[in-house]
Amino acid sequence: MQGPARIAEGLLTDAARPLGFRFDGQRMQGVAGDTLASALLANGRRLVGRSFKYHRPRGIVTAGPEEPCALVDVIGAGGREPNHLATTLALYQDLVAESQNRWPSLGFDVMALNDRIARFIPAGFYYKTFMAPGWAWEPLYEPLIRHAAGLGRLDAIVGEHAALAETVHDHADVLVVGAGVAGLTAAHRLGASGLRVVLAEQDTVLGGGALLDARWAEWRETTCDALAGLPRVHCLARTTVLGAYGHGVFAALETLAGADAANLGRLRERLRIIRARRVIFATGAIERLIAFPGNDLPGVMLAGAALGYLRRYGVAVGRQPAFFLNTDQAYESVFALAGAGIERVGVIDVRSGSLAAERARVLGIEVHEGVVVEAVIGRGAVGGVRVANRDGSQRREFEADSLLISGGYCPATALASQLGAALKWQDAIAAFTPELAPAAGRVAGAARGVFGLAAAARNGEAAARVIGAELGHASLAAGLELALPPDAEATPIGALWEVQARGKAFVDLQNDVTAADVRLAQLEGYEHVEHMKRYTTHGMATDQGRIGGLVGSAVLAQARGLPLAEVGQPKARPYAQPVPLAALAGSEVRQHLKPKRRLPLHDWHEAAGASFVTTGLWLRPLVYSRQSGWQPVLREARAVRTSVGVTDVSTLGKIDVQGPDAAKFLDFIYANTFSTLAVGRSRYGIMLREDGMLLDDGTTSRLAQQHFLVTTTTANAAAVLEHIEFHLQAVCPQFDVLLSDVGDQWAQFAIAGPRSREVVTALVADLDLSGQAFPFMAASAATIAGVAGRVFRISFSGELAYELAVPARHGLQVWLAVLAAGRPFGIRPYGLDALNTLRIEKGHVTGAEMNGNTSADDLGFGRMLKPQADFIGRELSQRAGLHAPDRLQLVGVRPVNRKRRLRNGAHLVAAKARTVSLGYVTSSTPSTELEGWVGLALLEGGRHCRVQRLLASSPVHNEATEVEIVSPHMIDPENVRVRA
Amino acid sequence: MLRIRCPWCGERDETEFRYRGDASQSRPAADAGLEAFSAYVYERKNPRGWHLEWWLHVGGCRRLLKLVRHTLTHEIRWVGNAEDQASLPREPGR
Amino acid sequence: MPGNASGLHLDTSASDIVEIAALRGRAPDVARIALERGVQLPALGRAVAAADHLALCVRPERWLILTPPASVGASAAAWQSACVGLGAVLDLSSALSTLEFSGSQAREVLVRSCRIDLDAQAFPVGTACATIMAQVAVILVALGSGLLLLTPASTARHFHEWLLAAARPLGFEPPSQRNDAAASDDAVGCGDKPS
Repeated sequence: MQGPARIAEGLLTDAARPLGFRFDGQRMQGVAGDTLASALLANGRRLVGRSFKYHRPRGIVTAGPEEPCALVDVIGAGGREPNHLATTLALYQDLVAESQNRWPSLGFDVMALNDRIARFIPAGFYYKTFMAPGWAWEPLYEPLIRHAAGLGRLDAIVGEHAALAETVHDHADVLVVGAGVAGLTAAHRLGASGLRVVLAEQDTVLGGGALLDARWAEWRETTCDALAGLPRVHCLARTTVLGAYGHGVFAALETLAGADAANLGRLRERLRIIRARRVIFATGAIERLIAFPGNDLPGVMLAGAALGYLRRYGVAVGRQPAFFLNTDQAYESVFALAGAGIERVGVIDVRSGSLAAERARVLGIEVHEGVVVEAVIGRGAVGGVRVANRDGSQRREFEADSLLISGGYCPATALASQLGAALKWQDAIAAFTPELAPAAGRVAGAARGVFGLAAAARNGEAAARVIGAELGHASLAAGLELALPPDAEATPIGALWEVQARGKAFVDLQNDVTAADVRLAQLEGYEHVEHMKRYTTHGMATDQGRIGGLVGSAVLAQARGLPLAEVGQPKARPYAQPVPLAALAGSEVRQHLKPKRRLPLHDWHEAAGASFVTTGLWLRPLVYSRQSGWQPVLREARAVRTSVGVTDVSTLGKIDVQGPDAAKFLDFIYANTFSTLAVGRSRYGIMLREDGMLLDDGTTSRLAQQHFLVTTTTANAAAVLEHIEFHLQAVCPQFDVLLSDVGDQWAQFAIAGPRSREVVTALVADLDLSGQAFPFMAASAATIAGVAGRVFRISFSGELAYELAVPARHGLQVWLAVLAAGRPFGIRPYGLDALNTLRIEKGHVTGAEMNGNTSADDLGFGRMLKPQADFIGRELSQRAGLHAPDRLQLVGVRPVNRKRRLRNGAHLVAAKARTVSLGYVTSSTPSTELEGWVGLALLEGGRHCRVQRLLASSPVHNEATEVEIVSPHMIDPENVRVRA
Repeated sequence: MLRIRCPWCGERDETEFRYRGDASQSRPAADAGLEAFSAYVYERKNPRGWHLEWWLHVGGCRRLLKLVRHTLTHEIRWVGNAEDQASLPREPGR
Repeated sequence: MPGNASGLHLDTSASDIVEIAALRGRAPDVARIALERGVQLPALGRAVAAADHLALCVRPERWLILTPPASVGASAAAWQSACVGLGAVLDLSSALSTLEFSGSQAREVLVRSCRIDLDAQAFPVGTACATIMAQVAVILVALGSGLLLLTPASTARHFHEWLLAAARPLGFEPPSQRNDAAASDDAVGCGDKPS
């Protein structure tokens, strides 16, 4: 037996496989199947942490995910991970864990001073204290609070952890949450009838309450075996349903067992998104605490947890346990411990004359009836208890090494509440049960207040019948017809929430919230249960107040003089338990975080030495150089101005528009007219949003009478497609138009510069490219370097230019042909930076200017708006405010001192009023032809004050550069070159 | 998460759709004037209860759907195509 | 073709892809003409595989027809002249990448991002759908031989990388990289590399 407190074989443990581990530096041994908590208890370890606020010593309180105290840091290869629950953490060889909230050591903790000054730090202390003066926040209060606050410590482990999670999407006819007796019964009946069932159980094994009752062992094994043989049933252990999101969608976190994790490349967690037609919540009930002074001392534990440690791991949590309880159900622990050979068992029963007390006495167990525990004796650990009658009379003390408490059982209602279940008070069990609308699902077993395993089995079966009928199985296949061990007759609960006596009586062990704090909240006006929760932090953090939540509500109800049913409980929201962010991210992390769109010629650009920039999702060549600075950019841009360059513009959005009403539809979508465009011609167009602001621009070509090709900016491609799809279907359903996204079909290259015609002529045999035959804004199908494609004579650079489009699969072939044809002219590929330089000095706008706040008029497109016909944004673009003379309008800017540079985002200010922004620089670049830098800016009333001089002020760079305001069209304003 | 029963594709996750706003608004006639267009673009009832909505199935058939959704319970009572007529249930918000 | 102990196979061979979208009320005419050309156009959500082509429908009154690669745009051009006045015919051979994924665990890998129920009963052979996986648009087709995935060409590499990563925990070894870059490196080596 590993550890002095291991007195028997556990259901889950394998004594033949010892596992060494370390806790706070101390070497200990557990066995395979242990949790860290059971191994610590087996080793007689009581103290496992300090509490969050008062830094009081704390021990293990529960045996499951509802644990408020036994949170530990686990130190692994990847670093330190905080807030692991010792009660669910499976022990493994060489596990290293450390306690939390203590400094410098668990035994001696400086912050424990908080406990002594506790009356000075009541609920709301931080709200009240760290108020004025405001300046003190950053330097003083915040560091102070941050040091004191928080559970555990987070190292930079995120990256390492992130690789170890994945997401899986599941579908089922029925999701059964909880594999206790009710859930197992329901899952089996439905699964045997051919329905597709997902059975999710947070425990490492299926069985729930049947695991703790030897009479149910055979039933459990037979049922689990039968389930495993059903092909349409998917049993998921270690899987906690975290949230119920409506529409049959649930999220569950599956923790992979060590062996699975090793097989799956150390994968540790799996987020399951489960879609189910129906759900059965068989989530069981959670034992709750009683508030009394000292109910947080190490050695105080829930009675059911003690039963769990004994049955599951063979560990006795005490040699001389005292029980403090108020239900017959809790006596199961009493009987189990006594039956396992623990001799000195004492019971303090709030009630008198219960059936269970009678049975205990028959077994020779000492039972004190009609009394309560008023105090726990001992510092650092339980040494005894002081009991008294409920009126405080007849005080006496008993020795005990542990105190096992049970205040009754609360049905686990969180998930049902998330689906809108109302909570209904049940006097018989002194707890709320969920009233779930049948359309949302069913609740079965202890989760709906049906206590007793046989009763739960029958209830699970009933739920299965109803669900089966709803899914078209009027009668279910035969069940296993196993005999159900009968439930014992039980005396009702004697509700008890709090024993009021001197000392701190905790309702929330994790957040150090006492019954007195709840009363204070009420006194100070936070009397709604939701307000009380936020004021005191009761029910927050990792355990969500599962073992004391109702107790806090009961204290509040008493303070308010209202029935508990009326006060209620705070609304439960997802997640039901802590979730690592890595599990939520799943496999879409690192290089998979978001899609990267790659150009058809991505590999060529990369091999050619391009540095890439991410614009939207696209990876685009920025400049074909690894050299920093503007020289490589200007080299590329000057090639275009002086000879010829080629750039990959395949990222532009391309929408194919066809149909008898295509022209009419485009007239509605665009602010300017397209129905008058001749076949074989292109036109620049602008789109507005319905509110009158600019949405996007681009060139649209008429390929045939009823066939157009719309191009959009790279950044807006998806949004524009949605915009026009929406308007076609919602606003213009009468139009017979077909829209198709052909963005990825075409590789498109701009060949720009005075020698571009010679280059393109060498590639295109079947087209006369002379200025007369193929003028500016002409468009035609053509065979380009042997590939069927399209030629457009359009220009973004301001030079004579052509764009060649070919199916992307043949892009490389054509690109190489362009380079070969351009070699005599010194052709250069140019990147996005050079493209920007060229367009800025030419005065062409992009997203920097078309930023959602600018109107067509602001950017000088006012006259493009067709005056007569309707189009999207027409009416609201005419609002007076959008034509106010002081609106920000597009201008060009140049530093007066040509040696100075410009900064994007610099504000334009008058020299005499430097704090009043008159506008800002949107884009800037060194010029290819003009001396020094040029920029585009949005300036108040900009079009009418071009002779002014202003300062371009960039305080972050500590710069203020005098600039002159010029026309945005700084190169070839007469457009002679593009028409050459 | 909403599950929307697309008349074309079947039941799909909300993530495949793009919400496109209040479908009870229809675009005014071209000459309806500034106020009508202002109302069309800006004025919304924001009801607690049934709401007629546009959803574009961008991750599927790319059809525009019209649906009746309850803003509080998220119940989807009806899904149709853009041209289908729909009326809101009489019952108030639950 | 990569394959290994996991039983998964991944095949990325190109097809010619033509999309035909019918104008209003013209779907029966398009279907008739297709039939004359030996192609049975499937109903929405279905795919029909024949010896020399695969036809599928994931958008109402729109079909994709996949054929083995021929000369550029030839297939589209032929359909175009057959469907004049009836609809839009688009060559999407370069727009979509095809990827055939097969093996007993193929669906098991795809559920790591696919929100569609891929259970063999829910998504039997002959089913086709458009959805989103790994944040990109995907068309899924259940074929007798496995699953065919069509993804936009620009995000194909991203999707492919995601798929390999998702399959790795199930024992799928990524194939030795078929190096697209090598081809272009050669081309650059011919003297076209910018100086």
